[in-house]
Amino acid sequence: MSPDPSHYLVVGALLFGLGAIGFLTRRNLILMMLSSELMLHGVSVNLTAFSQYHGQHDGQALTIFVLTIAACEAGLSLAIILALYQRTRSLDIRLWTTLGEEELMPPMADSASREIEPPAEPLPKLVPAGRRPVIGADGHVVTPVLSNSQVSGKGAKA
Amino acid sequence: MNWVSENIALIVTLVLLGANILLLFPSTGRKSGIPGFLLLPVTLAGLGWVFLQPTGDIVRDLLFYMAGGTAVLGGLLMTTQRNPVYAALWFAVATLGVCGLFVINSAPFLAAVTIIVYAGAIVVTFVFVIMLAQQEQGSGYDRIPQQPFLATVLGCLLVGTMLLGIEKTFGPESSRLSVDRTALHVSSLPVENDLGSPGGVGRSLFTDYLFAVELAGTVLLVATIGAIAIAPRRPQGSL
Repeated sequence: MSPDPSHYLVVGALLFGLGAIGFLTRRNLILMMLSSELMLHGVSVNLTAFSQYHGQHDGQALTIFVLTIAACEAGLSLAIILALYQRTRSLDIRLWTTLGEEELMPPMADSASREIEPPAEPLPKLVPAGRRPVIGADGHVVTPVLSNSQVSGKGAKA
Repeated sequence: MNWVSENIALIVTLVLLGANILLLFPSTGRKSGIPGFLLLPVTLAGLGWVFLQPTGDIVRDLLFYMAGGTAVLGGLLMTTQRNPVYAALWFAVATLGVCGLFVINSAPFLAAVTIIVYAGAIVVTFVFVIMLAQQEQGSGYDRIPQQPFLATVLGCLLVGTMLLGIEKTFGPESSRLSVDRTALHVSSLPVENDLGSPGGVGRSLFTDYLFAVELAGTVLLVATIGAIAIAPRRPQGSL
C-alpha cells in the first residue's frame, strides 16, 4: 500500500487547474474540448491514487467509466463542432456567444474574428413575378429576380 | 497576516505559476515566449520543492517526478501553445505522463487503455479535424486568448484552494484518514497483489458495477447514434 497519495493529488489538482485555465482562455472550439479532457485526466489521477491508497479496485473501475464518457463526449462534440464549422467556416467560440438574431453582432466579437468571418451568402428570396427589381443605394439589385423587361431585352439582343 | 506568513511558500509558488502561464501566453505585442520558457524549469522545480518532497523510496520518487513533470509540462504548454496542432500534440504528451502515474499507482491495465483511447483515438481524431479546419496563415482566435489574466488568476485560486485542502488532510499535523477495511461493504476485495490487473478490474466491474457497465454501454450506443445523426451531410462534397 502506498504511504501517502498527496503527491498524486497535487499533480491531479495542477492538471485540473491547467485544464480550467485552458477552457476559459481558449477560443478554438476543439481546444476547449481538449482542455476539458485534461481536467478529466486530473480526476483520473486522483481516482487511481485513492484506489492505490485503499488497496481496492473501485477507483480504477470509476476511471474506466470516466474513459467511456470521455470517448462519448469526444465523438458527440466533434460532430457538433463540424456542424458549427460548416455554418461559419470558423472555429471561433465568439461567433456563437448568442443564439439570437443574426443582425445583432455578438457583443464580444473583436476585429480579428470579424476578419475571418466570411460574408454570409444571401438566401434566395422569391418575389411575385412581373415587378421591377428594386435598386439599392449602392447601385446593385436588392432582389435579384428576372422581371419581364429583362427577359425580353435579353431576347431582343440575342 | 499570521495566515499569510504560515502559507508563504504556497502563495509564492502560485504567483510564480500564474506569472509563468501569463508569460507563456501569446500576445499581440510580444512575438516570442522566451522568458516564459526560461521561467518554466524554475516553476516546475518550485512546485516540486514546495509540495512534492521526496518520500525516501528513490526509484519510486524518480519515476514519479518524471511522469508528473511530463504531465504538468504537457498541460502547461497545451494551455498556452498558439498552434492548435502543437497544442493537441502537447495534450498527447500530458496523456503519456498521466499514464506513467497510472503505472506507478499499480494500474497498468488502465494505462494501456488510456494510451489506446486517448493518444490513439481521441487525439488523432482531433488533429484530423483541426487540420481540416486549418486557416491559411494562423487564425485570430488561436493567436489572441480570451481574458488570459482573469482566467489565470481564477485558475491559480482554484489550484491554491485544492492544494490547501490536500495539505490540511494529508499534511504533517493532520489527523490521518484511517482506513477501516471491515467497514467497506464491497464484495470484491482484491486478492493478493491483484490490484490493477485486468482480471481484478474486470471482477470489480462485473460484480459491484454491473448495472453501471450496462448503462455505460447504452450511453456509448446512444452517443454513436447521436454523432451520426448530428454529423453534417455534405451536399457539395466538402467539409
